[in-house]
Amino acid sequence: MSWSPYFSLTILFVVALGFGLAPLALAQLWAKTFSPAKPNAIKNAIYECGLESKGDAWVQFRSAYYLYAIIFLIFDVEAVFLLPFAVAFTGLTAGACVAMLIFALLLLEGLAWAWAKGVLTWE
Amino acid sequence: MAIDQELKIEMGKQGVFVTTIQELYNWGRRSSVWPMQFGLACCAIEMIATTMARYDLARFGAEVFRPSPRQADLMIVAGTVTKKMAPQVVRLYNQMAEPKYVIAMGACAISGGPFKQGYNVLKGIDRYMPVDVHIPGCPPRPEALIQAFMTLQKKIDSHHLTGEGRPRYLDPDAPGEFKVPEPGEHDLEPASNQGVWPVPVVIR
Amino acid sequence: MKTVEEIKAAIEAAVPGAKVEIVPNPGPSGEHSLLLGHEQAVEVARFLRDDPELALDYLSNVTGVDWLDKEVTEKVKVKRQVTKTVDGVEQTVEETVDETRKHVEPGYLEAVYHLFSMARKHGPVVLRLRTGNRTDQVEVPSLTMLWRAAEFQEREVFDLYGIVFKGHPDLRRILMWEGFKDHPMRKDYVEPDDYEYEPTAHDQVLKRAQAHQAQAAAMGQEGAGAGQ
Repeated sequence: MSWSPYFSLTILFVVALGFGLAPLALAQLWAKTFSPAKPNAIKNAIYECGLESKGDAWVQFRSAYYLYAIIFLIFDVEAVFLLPFAVAFTGLTAGACVAMLIFALLLLEGLAWAWAKGVLTWE
Repeated sequence: MAIDQELKIEMGKQGVFVTTIQELYNWGRRSSVWPMQFGLACCAIEMIATTMARYDLARFGAEVFRPSPRQADLMIVAGTVTKKMAPQVVRLYNQMAEPKYVIAMGACAISGGPFKQGYNVLKGIDRYMPVDVHIPGCPPRPEALIQAFMTLQKKIDSHHLTGEGRPRYLDPDAPGEFKVPEPGEHDLEPASNQGVWPVPVVIR
Repeated sequence: MKTVEEIKAAIEAAVPGAKVEIVPNPGPSGEHSLLLGHEQAVEVARFLRDDPELALDYLSNVTGVDWLDKEVTEKVKVKRQVTKTVDGVEQTVEETVDETRKHVEPGYLEAVYHLFSMARKHGPVVLRLRTGNRTDQVEVPSLTMLWRAAEFQEREVFDLYGIVFKGHPDLRRILMWEGFKDHPMRKDYVEPDDYEYEPTAHDQVLKRAQAHQAQAAAMGQEGAGAGQ
C-alpha cells in the first residue's frame, strides 16, 4: 500500500488548524471557568468618547468624495515616480525620458477624461 | 501543591522554572496593562512624559495607550475631574472590558486638589468608581506614576483566582456596572456612589 | 486718546438721546468707565467701534460683577417744630436735630466690557451695563453683533452671573451643564455641601466639614465603629 503524496499535506493542515484553534479553545475554557461575563447596558452601548451617542452611526457619504480620492491617488503615484526620475535625470537616456513622458501623458489623459466628465465640478 | 518558596528560587537559579496557573495568569495580566489614552489636565503632561524615552513606561509593558475603552485595562485619571466631565469618565470606565484597574493621578483626581472649594470640581473620582492606586502630587512626577504602576502590579500579583480574596472581576456576584452620575439642578446626582464609596470615617 | 469726558461728549453729539454716565475710578490708574443706558447702548457701541477717531475695534473681555443690596446709613439734619416753655411762656421753636436714616440701595448685576483699538493702538475704554435688579430684571442688551468676541464671554457671564443678554444669537450655558439652576459666581450662591470626607481639613474646609464630622462621630458611637 502506498501513501498518497498529498497525505503529508493533510497532516500538516490538521496540525496547522489545531495550532490555531487550540489557543482559542483554551481561552474560551478559561473564560468559562474563571471570568464571569458582566455585560450591561452602558458597556454594550456605542463608544462615543464617554458621551451618550445620539442618532445612527451609519451615515452616507457622497460618492464624489471617492472620485476626488482616486484622482488624488493618481497624482500621488505620479509624484512617487517623478521624484527618482528627476534625481537621476542627467544620467538617463533619451528612451527613458520618452517612457517617462508617456507615463505622465497617460496620467494626464486620465485627468483630462475626468475633467471632461465633470467630476471636478462640485455641485 | 504549594511549593516551598526557597526551593523555587533555588531551582530558578539552576534553570528550572516552576509556576502555578495563578502565578502565570497574574504575570500575564501585570505584564501588559494597557492604559486608556485620555488626559484631563496638567497631570496628563506628566503621564505623557512617563511614556517617553526618559522614563519609558514600556519597561512595565504599559506603553500601549489605547484610544478606546474596549481595548484598555487601566484608566489613569490624570487631572482635574470637573463635575461636567465626571459622567463621561464614569461612563468610559463602565465601557472598559474586565479586568480593569484605575489609578487616580494627582491631587485633583484624588480629592479635588486646589479646586476643592470650587463649585465645579469633583472631590475625588473615587466617589464614583473603585480606585486601585492613588497618587498625591500636583502634578506627581513621572517617578510617582511609575511607582503607582509597580504598586498596581504588586496588587495584581497578589490576586487569587478563586476563593474569598479574589478580585471583583472574577466574582460573578460583584457589580460590573457603576452608576453614571446625572447632572442635576445644583450638583451631580447622586453626589457619590455609596456602594463604591461609603463615606470613610476619619480617625484622629 | 480722548479722555472719558471727551468720549462722553462725542457720544452725546453723535447719538442723540444717549444716556451716558461716567463712573469714576478712584484708583491710581484712573480708568473711569462709561455707564450706558439700555435703549441706546447698541448705537453707542456701534459709534465707538466705527468712529474713525476712536475705532475701538477690539473687545478684550467681558466681565460680570455682582453688587449686593447695600444698606446705607446717613445722618441728616432735620428741622422740626418743638414746643418749649421759655421764661414761663409756651412757645413754638424751630430746632435742628440730627437724625440717622437707613435705606437700602438695591443691588444689581453689571456687565463690564473692555474695548481697545487695534487700528489706533489705544485703549482701554470701559463700558458698563447694569441690570434693574438682581432677581427679575436681569436683562441687558447684547453687543455680540458688534464684536463677535463677545459671544462666548456673554454666554459665560450669563452662565455664572445670570445676566440675560437680549439679542444674543445663542444664549446657552457654556461652562456648567444644561439644567443647572444656579449662577455660581453670584455672591449669594450656596454651593452643594459635599464635604463628607476631609482627612486634613483646615480653614474654610474645616468649617464646612465640622457638621459632617459631628454627624459621623454620632453614627460611629451608635454603630460601634461600623464602616471603619
